[in-house]
Amino acid sequence: MSENVIKVSNLVKSYSDVRAVDGISFSIERGEVFSILGPNGAGKTTTVEILEGVRNRTSGDVQVLGQDPEKSRSLVFKVGILPQDFSFVYNSTPKEALDFYKGTLRASSDLHEILEMVELEDKSSTPFQKLSGGQKQKLGLALSLVNNPEILFLDEPTSGLDPRARRNIWKVIKGLKDAGKSILLTTHYLEEAELLADRVAIMNKGKIIDSGRPMEIVERHHEDDNLIIRGDGEVERLLTAGGFLFHREGAYLKINLKSIKDATEIINYLYERKAAFEDFTLKRESLEDVFVRMIGAIEEDESE
Amino acid sequence: MNLNRTSAYFVLHAKSYMRSRSALFFQLAFPIILILLFGAIFSGSSYSPSTLIVQNESPSVASWGVVNAINESGLFKVHVIPENENLTKYITNNSVEAALLIPSNFTTNIYSGGKGYIMLEGHSNPTVASVDYQTLNGIFTEINFRSSNTTQKLVLSSQIAIGNTGKTINYYVPGLIGFTVLSTMFNMVYTVPNYRREKLFRQLSFSGLTKSEWITANMMFSFLMLILSDVILVAIGIYVFGASLVLNIQTILTSALIIFGGLFFFTSVGILAGLVSDNEETVSVVGNLVMFPMMFLSGVFFPLTFAPAYLVTISKFLPLTYFINSLISVLDYGNISSVALQILWLLLGSAILFIIAVTLFSWKQK
Repeated sequence: MSENVIKVSNLVKSYSDVRAVDGISFSIERGEVFSILGPNGAGKTTTVEILEGVRNRTSGDVQVLGQDPEKSRSLVFKVGILPQDFSFVYNSTPKEALDFYKGTLRASSDLHEILEMVELEDKSSTPFQKLSGGQKQKLGLALSLVNNPEILFLDEPTSGLDPRARRNIWKVIKGLKDAGKSILLTTHYLEEAELLADRVAIMNKGKIIDSGRPMEIVERHHEDDNLIIRGDGEVERLLTAGGFLFHREGAYLKINLKSIKDATEIINYLYERKAAFEDFTLKRESLEDVFVRMIGAIEEDESE
Repeated sequence: MNLNRTSAYFVLHAKSYMRSRSALFFQLAFPIILILLFGAIFSGSSYSPSTLIVQNESPSVASWGVVNAINESGLFKVHVIPENENLTKYITNNSVEAALLIPSNFTTNIYSGGKGYIMLEGHSNPTVASVDYQTLNGIFTEINFRSSNTTQKLVLSSQIAIGNTGKTINYYVPGLIGFTVLSTMFNMVYTVPNYRREKLFRQLSFSGLTKSEWITANMMFSFLMLILSDVILVAIGIYVFGASLVLNIQTILTSALIIFGGLFFFTSVGILAGLVSDNEETVSVVGNLVMFPMMFLSGVFFPLTFAPAYLVTISKFLPLTYFINSLISVLDYGNISSVALQILWLLLGSAILFIIAVTLFSWKQK
């Protein structure tokens, strides 16, 4: 039986009459990447900060490596944290920051190796405020690795980064996952969660509205798959004759599929009749499509 | 508290501080500019003798003794006018800058063991008045000091601090040391909300550092910087402007103790003030609200002798006043015993305030 490194039960955080976190429960297994998804203000960061021990909870039980983060100071030696909006002491350099962490956390890690891993070795002597947004995030990630942590809390690690920098950070996170680290990742990039997370929890307005493996969530909530064909009036006429349901979107014809297997039948049908279609794409809903619809549906229900 | 973590932050802070031009300017260059400025303005190694008109309405051995002492100081050329002369008229008619009136009750007061009040009158130029006042008060302090075993005292309006040789620079050196210590409060007033806004306390807490270790490391560094800047101030005062301070092992250690107490005190005030400032606008208001009254009403840049009585009363409620007065007593007069109790109170008050500040200061996100 796998060990839970994080256990959260009925967690509540209230600010006067607002419930930022409203009775959520989840657990994370050792070596698992668990992602909390949600729109801004969903309660993701509050939840993570409670787990990090920087914010006190109103009620509920929280265990990180068997300890209550609100009471245990020794957890900082076992976890690595990259907070949202990471910032550091102005005028200090990445090398000095890492030296400081190494000294305070009594770590034995090779700092050069860490700088190399996050691709920051050529900026190791640049004052913090002169680093770009991506370089600052990389420094934050580097600092979270100094103590070779058992659990990593990564709160929107790629927020505001350009696609290349984002992919670099993903590479590092994948490497950490392969090394068996347990990671709690919050993000609003659904693609990121789909790519990196073993399991995800979707939060909205302080509650977890669904959780599971990304594919399971897509399976549970996705609408029909579509086959998209770039074709002329002749293709349109053949599809009508064949009794297929479709509609035109510019140069494309979007055909609803009852089952994914129907795609082969339609392509064969058009091919046999020598229809002049240029290309086709099978469009299956992503986690992002499902997420947007789920959140949108909740907001619509509430506004009615 | 863990010394390794404290020293690790000390090193980090020191390195980043040394790269900050504005921090270095305010810590080192600004006090130096101030002492060069004030030193240049008041750099006379001694006053050139100016004429002092004296009207003695209470002729006696005691009153003429005072007049002789003033004359022999070499700081004034005394010119005595008759008792029956109208002093106010004389001042106006002759454009006199300095006129000293020894009132008719002077001798009676002195011989009855009381205070002999003497009045300085007739000044239209406040700068000259201030210099004359300080010079005369310096002479009177000397006379009082020499007759310290008697109960009679000479009083010129009110007590003011003045150097043992009457040089104004002697006053400015302790005053500017006070300013450097006060600036540590300014640092905290800005640092605490800034660190909170930038979520740096949260970040530092991830390193295992505690708030007590952060404060201690900051104070250790501030103390070193204060000692450095104050040594430079004293050196400039002495070697550039000829300040004559009483410097020996006792006065140096006592001054260091006062500075340390002041650092504790003002750092704590800075933390508390920083705690109530949660945005840049409030920081600026709170910072100036705390700083400016102390800067101008505690005698950093000028003595409060000529200030209205209510301002003098206010100055008595400002901790920096006592801090500067203690430094003046120690550095200008070598008088440690008279301020020992004051220093003790300063240290005790600092310790209490420090405990309150550390208790109220939280690194947790609100």
